Amino acid sequence: MSNGTVATTDKPKLLGAIGLKRRLEEMEQTLADTGHYDGIEELALRAEDPLKYERTHTRLSSAVIAARETSKLISASPGVREVGESVVGLFTPEGDSVVFSAGIMVHVHSMSRFIKWMIRNDYENDPGIEPGDIFANNDAFIGCVQLPDVMDVIPIFRDGELVAWAGSVCHELEVGGIVAGGDINIAIERFGEGMPVCAEKVGTNDEIRRDYLVRAERSLRTPIYWILDEKAKVSACLEVRDKVNELIDDLGTEYFKQAIHEYIEEGRRTHLERMKVQSVPGRYRGVTFYGNLFKDKPGVLPVAAKNELIPIPVEVEIDRGGFMSVDFEGAGPWGWHPNNCSPAAMEGGFFVNLTQFMDYDGMVNDGAALATELKLPEGTWTNPDSEQVATACGWALMNPAYGTFVRLMARAHLARGFKEEIFVGGINCPFFEAGGISQYGTRFGASNFELSAAGSGARGIMDGIDTGYAIFNPESDMGNAEVWETALPVLYLGRRIWADSGGAGKFRGGVGFTSLYKAHRTPLLSVTTAVHSGKVFDNAGICGGYPSPSALYHYAIRDNDLAERIENRDPLPVGVGDADAPDMLELISGDVEYTEGVYVGKPLKDGDLFQHSYIGGGGYGDPIERSPDLVRRDLDVGKVSERLARNLYRVAFELEDGEYKVDAEATAAAREAERERRLSGSVPAAEWFEAQRKRVVDNGFCEEVSAMYHDAMELSERWRGEYAEFWKIDGPLAWEESK
Amino acid sequence: MSARPTYTQDVVSDLIDGSLPWAQTRQIMSAYKDDDRFEKYIAILQERVPWDDPIVLTVGEHLFIVATAAGHVVKCDCGHEFCDYRENWKMAARVRVRDDAESLEEIYPGPSKPDVEWMELREFICPGCAALLEVEAVPPGFPVLHDFLPDLEAFYEGWLGRPVPTVGG
Repeated sequence: MSNGTVATTDKPKLLGAIGLKRRLEEMEQTLADTGHYDGIEELALRAEDPLKYERTHTRLSSAVIAARETSKLISASPGVREVGESVVGLFTPEGDSVVFSAGIMVHVHSMSRFIKWMIRNDYENDPGIEPGDIFANNDAFIGCVQLPDVMDVIPIFRDGELVAWAGSVCHELEVGGIVAGGDINIAIERFGEGMPVCAEKVGTNDEIRRDYLVRAERSLRTPIYWILDEKAKVSACLEVRDKVNELIDDLGTEYFKQAIHEYIEEGRRTHLERMKVQSVPGRYRGVTFYGNLFKDKPGVLPVAAKNELIPIPVEVEIDRGGFMSVDFEGAGPWGWHPNNCSPAAMEGGFFVNLTQFMDYDGMVNDGAALATELKLPEGTWTNPDSEQVATACGWALMNPAYGTFVRLMARAHLARGFKEEIFVGGINCPFFEAGGISQYGTRFGASNFELSAAGSGARGIMDGIDTGYAIFNPESDMGNAEVWETALPVLYLGRRIWADSGGAGKFRGGVGFTSLYKAHRTPLLSVTTAVHSGKVFDNAGICGGYPSPSALYHYAIRDNDLAERIENRDPLPVGVGDADAPDMLELISGDVEYTEGVYVGKPLKDGDLFQHSYIGGGGYGDPIERSPDLVRRDLDVGKVSERLARNLYRVAFELEDGEYKVDAEATAAAREAERERRLSGSVPAAEWFEAQRKRVVDNGFCEEVSAMYHDAMELSERWRGEYAEFWKIDGPLAWEESK
Repeated sequence: MSARPTYTQDVVSDLIDGSLPWAQTRQIMSAYKDDDRFEKYIAILQERVPWDDPIVLTVGEHLFIVATAAGHVVKCDCGHEFCDYRENWKMAARVRVRDDAESLEEIYPGPSKPDVEWMELREFICPGCAALLEVEAVPPGFPVLHDFLPDLEAFYEGWLGRPVPTVGG
């Protein structure tokens, strides 16, 4: 029996006589010619013995799920152990995903990209693909989202023939960039993002190479996370290989090889079927925006030191056959900021969202990706024409993009009658990273991954998930405060639900939360924030729901009176408090710093405080149609403020003996008054159009908005044409004349 | 035997209102989709609206594409008719724009509001019943989005296997 590690005397057969690269090309041609993955017109194994076929799939799914659970125990990183920032998958010899575990499923597809990149670049011949080899990558243009996504894959051989790949990814909390952490917030090109691993053979004979580990030890502020994550990933891959070999012992190599390809063809068909059951053909459009605020930010080089408004347009077309294409025409150009995305990232982000709203059971694999198409215009942030751009915070644009995509699919579910599947989508949630001197007296760097428990968008029949959703990891968890306190020299002084952080609506977005941290036993703590939009909301509501307030501030207070307040048992600013008079400004005295958009803080020391807020999701439906009783319950637990309950939900209430009581009659009257106010305070859209058209003609916009239109139109004649057509403008637009 | 479940009209009605017990809702969400959902959904909505134009498709919490003698038009459940479904109903709505600090602070107080030079909120309101139908969060000068343009023919003839409902005339 071969366990895949036994060296063969002959060069291993990578795919029969034709070689791996040609096999991949032929498969792609076959798909184009026949419309079927690998030309599979009949699911023969399923027809022959459906129970055996399903049982085999379950065995493979169990293998990757179990391998991930085991590997989490090897990791030292709270990101992996606590929050679940990892995933394990099984791939065909050609690199298509067959089954995968829970976790950060975005990388199942990006690992496909990585494997195919090696095949296309003739790794078969140099550096060679041998039994026992370990390949690693974190290059976004080869196959991942950003540099902290370090992925490891191993080839699985059987009797000298490549029959599959096993792969695993862990998100690293520290990557050795120009600031500490994983998502390097001021990277302006790939240089400075941290330690790159570009499709490298990092191990042989099932052992990680010593020189690779030495590089990690010498390149990272806290190398233990990366190194033990490497071991966790390799162990997961080896466990999957063992299970595959056991399965082949039972069923034979030919059955295994045929089954894994049939599963993908079935996944493709299932997706198309589901589109026909759950959606409506047609064109769907949405948009959101991201504000990258680099002007006057410390550490940002002059070439990048400006504020930019980045458009994130999404158009979905579903055709008669259920085939879906997603087009990003009108997206702005890539920029000197870390928020750019590689095609691998865009595909991975698409995939993880598909698995959440459509392809969440059955044969979930690369088949779904084959039944869809992404249109990524060259030169935009979705598909930069240089592979040297920074992608360290690609999620900053990808989350809003696919949050928008999910909102478009919500319209499909609404049209089709599956209101219970309506989801206003995930959001982009800024988080903090830190470096300096740890509580143990050593140099350190790490991200805090509490953002994995932000609020979700609302649903069509209920509110969004409160403090428990991450678009990038459906199995999300904020992690225990006590564990984060071991990774970073901070003490948690509180976590509190942030009232009004869920977008308002008949069903509101899930709420986020605020954490208050004290720098603890450290003479030097440098804090930054990543994926942090400013000046605009980077999410939206639908059907009358509002966006969540995602233009966020980050607070720090140095040299404060915390010790005295504790001594006096005075309240601490553990939450946001009244938005007009935030607790961080009211309940503590000291040297205050608050920053809009991405934060690059001056160093903190023991006793200094900082507060970070994790946002909620967008709302669904008209807020004055929200049940007054739901508003009362939100008031009781602090999920909505009295101000919003009155101003927006138009609920009349009194606080009596510590309990909120709703006055139904007065609420009905307040809501009726709001309807009248809406009519008297609004104008016919045609009237509004004329006034706005004049503003467009006159270029009555601030510099950043004008620049956004100019830059997006330079890349897209189509978008420019639609813009001019909408505003009924012939000839040059104002920003074209001024340039 | 079909693996597809089917539910009574009462169950679907409670489900789309969010009033079905969570355990049952969860079970429905986890099961295969019910093939006859669309027909039941339309029948439920048709019973609820105070007019008789046949509903062809739902395009909002209050908005439908309905068949009329004048063709397929977007109509609010209150009875207000907007325009042909191929045009953007928003341009036939009323609009209230929050583009200054005061109006934005009603909803987004203090630092949680966007910069008014960078982003405005456009609230699209039904002229008939004042329902808030959509909210756009976009920079000034951004074209009004046409959220959804369904391919009615592909849907009805291609997927449902029957003609798009029409009204003679």
